[in-house]
Amino acid sequence: MKCDIFIEALGQRVKVLEVTRQYEDQVTALVELNDLPEAVRFLYYDMGGYLSTMIPNDEREINKHFALYYVLSMEGGKMFEGDEVAQDEKCFVTVKTLISPDTLTYPSVTPKVPACVWYEREAYDMFGLIAEGLPDKRRLVLSDDWPDNLHPLRKDAMDYRYRPDMKEHYMEPEFDFLRPEGSGVIDVPLGPLHITADEPGHFRLFCDGDTIIDADYRLFYQHRGMEKLAENRMNYDQMGYLAERVCGICGYAHAIACIESAEKAINLEIPARAQAIRIICSEIERLHSHLLNIGLACEVTGNYNAFMHIFRIREYSMKLAELVTGGRKTYGNVVMGGLRRDMTGVEIKESLQILNIIEAQVDEVWDAVMDDKRQMRRWKGVGILDKQVARDFSAVGPNIRGSGIKRDTRYDHPYDFFKQVKFDVAVVEGGDVFARETVRYLELKSSVSIIRQCFEMMPQTAIIVDPKFHVKPENYALAYVEAPRGDNVHWIMQGSAQKVFRWRCRAATYNNWPSLRFQFRGNTIADAALIVCSLDPCYSCTERVTVVDVKSKKSKILTNKDLKNFSRTQKNSPLKDLR
Amino acid sequence: MMKLLDISKKYGDTTHKYPFEPYHVADNFRGKPAYIFDLCIGCAACGIACPSNAITVQLNAEQNKLIWEFDCGRCIFCGRCDEVCPTGAIRLSEEFELAVKFDKSALIQRGELEVQCCTECKKPFTAKRLVQYSFDCLSKANVSQNRLEEAKDYLRVCPTCKKNATVSNFTTGKEVVIE
Ligand code: SF4
Ligand code: SF4
Repeated sequence: MKCDIFIEALGQRVKVLEVTRQYEDQVTALVELNDLPEAVRFLYYDMGGYLSTMIPNDEREINKHFALYYVLSMEGGKMFEGDEVAQDEKCFVTVKTLISPDTLTYPSVTPKVPACVWYEREAYDMFGLIAEGLPDKRRLVLSDDWPDNLHPLRKDAMDYRYRPDMKEHYMEPEFDFLRPEGSGVIDVPLGPLHITADEPGHFRLFCDGDTIIDADYRLFYQHRGMEKLAENRMNYDQMGYLAERVCGICGYAHAIACIESAEKAINLEIPARAQAIRIICSEIERLHSHLLNIGLACEVTGNYNAFMHIFRIREYSMKLAELVTGGRKTYGNVVMGGLRRDMTGVEIKESLQILNIIEAQVDEVWDAVMDDKRQMRRWKGVGILDKQVARDFSAVGPNIRGSGIKRDTRYDHPYDFFKQVKFDVAVVEGGDVFARETVRYLELKSSVSIIRQCFEMMPQTAIIVDPKFHVKPENYALAYVEAPRGDNVHWIMQGSAQKVFRWRCRAATYNNWPSLRFQFRGNTIADAALIVCSLDPCYSCTERVTVVDVKSKKSKILTNKDLKNFSRTQKNSPLKDLR
Repeated sequence: MMKLLDISKKYGDTTHKYPFEPYHVADNFRGKPAYIFDLCIGCAACGIACPSNAITVQLNAEQNKLIWEFDCGRCIFCGRCDEVCPTGAIRLSEEFELAVKFDKSALIQRGELEVQCCTECKKPFTAKRLVQYSFDCLSKANVSQNRLEEAKDYLRVCPTCKKNATVSNFTTGKEVVIE
């Protein structure tokens, strides 16, 4: 069976207390608390694993403990040719450990596997589980004025509607940014709001002159508590729709991942036609998402002309979505057991025409952008994500594929119709903005071909199987979907009746943020917005910036316009009167 | 740079004149659900199916009307209501202009339906139209005249009273013939 070789190897390294299988490619190994870091490190570095997600869980009513599940995608390190697990051996191995509610502590894995850092910080916020030895113990998800001992995802912590009193803004505790040592460091906050998508995120850029020497950021201003909401009052039918609203761009990938994890937990196989249509819709989503990002990467650098053309083409992909799903952005067709809407022959015919238009016009504009020397100068060599850093932090999506690592869930763990479809994984060396945008361009092309193949091969079966099923409480499973930004991983543990016990939703960008810091280093602040944009976290411009010169104690507030202008024209550095 | 200008020239204007001319959406667009009061029988299937609780079907405070209410502000245009409605009283439309001017009550749509009171306990339990609809369905089905006459009575008994009657029939050993 799949996974056995990894479990066997793990057993020789640490004591494995219990092995359970959730799905044909998913196995959980229970290890002792003290063996946890070594077990994860061994699988991660020695056996070629990437961290997919980590789920803290309050299982006191099941086994009187808290539990941690470190999910590793066993696919090979992919650092050099041949450093890859054989295709039919690729699987997910979960390392599970139990934590006593008396001590609430566990040894941190982060010093050995840096990719765990955000997950372990979040485990403290949400469950109050303390990682011994975690280098960075600051809050991640909860706001700075959230009450100290209230850990919202504990089952007995609070009602999901409870909102603690907010502190007045001047009473709010200050968030500690990680400041580099040294004099003459200028501290540039970017934020609190990014204007292209009106999304909040606060970045601190530490600069020497115009050069960024380090960066730190505070996010999660928009945490909506969906996991808590779903646990308390949603059934699976409702959850799919909630999941679709996790993200404003790649929501559909969340919807399928969420529903598929519930389907996998009960071993439900959906009809082939439903599988194909799920793939078609998610590839349409990739079309509009990648076009958005390439467009923005032009816009941030002042290339409005290209931006407008790319958005003109993007409109076709929105129309395509409207045609086959009835909605431009929310496709709303995923339900437990399959789909609620089929595609008609007429729709398919029209879709094929739209695809031809998109394919031809994308090439045209991409060619023109490639010819633009000025644009290329802004993209090339900027925001480099080192291959090793990408490996250490388990980056995902075009972000890691732009650094020459062939990681794509559609290829590593083919789900749904991807078992039948043929496509090339877009891998580009270089790790700079240019590489990432090229990956996106190549994926636009492959998405068009994937959709065509699906149309051609999808069988005339039903689109839904009778979703009458018996939930098995405490069953859990993982589902993964390659969203435009990387893989979205959802994990569901079922509760009684139609409810979930725990839903963990990990969006792609969650794995990309921690390494962003390294991408900033050595670039100028004019490129900061572009680098954030090339990560495709849905936003890229800056609202308001304060600049502080640590040496001269001078400070200055820059408007969004100042910085935006500087990043477009690279003239009139807003920092020059501080020097 | 020049190449981009060539492309601009090639495609010319691509914007629509909307809102000065209508904007056409796809045939199966999922727009604002449109409600046809005359068709609604108050069965509440839509209320149960609606994932975001945009539709509620409840008795009013005086217990004399069944209120069907739709709050467009909560609607996520999923189309579940459309799928489950037995009479086609609610259908997704092509409507996408949903903004209201400072008045959120404009987002709410209501229908008041006559209630049917239970002939045993006299409490209201469903809409008169639903009783009629059930009867019509039965008449179209192949059932004997006798049964139809009986149905006229038992359709007007609330589920609680029906249950009690069954229990008492059981416990007193009374036999009922079902044709
Ligand atoms: S479309 Fe969906 S959300 Fe809107 S009323 Fe119907 S069932 Fe409810
Ligand atoms: S008839 Fe249709 S609209 Fe009326 S309550 Fe039933 S499902 Fe809802």
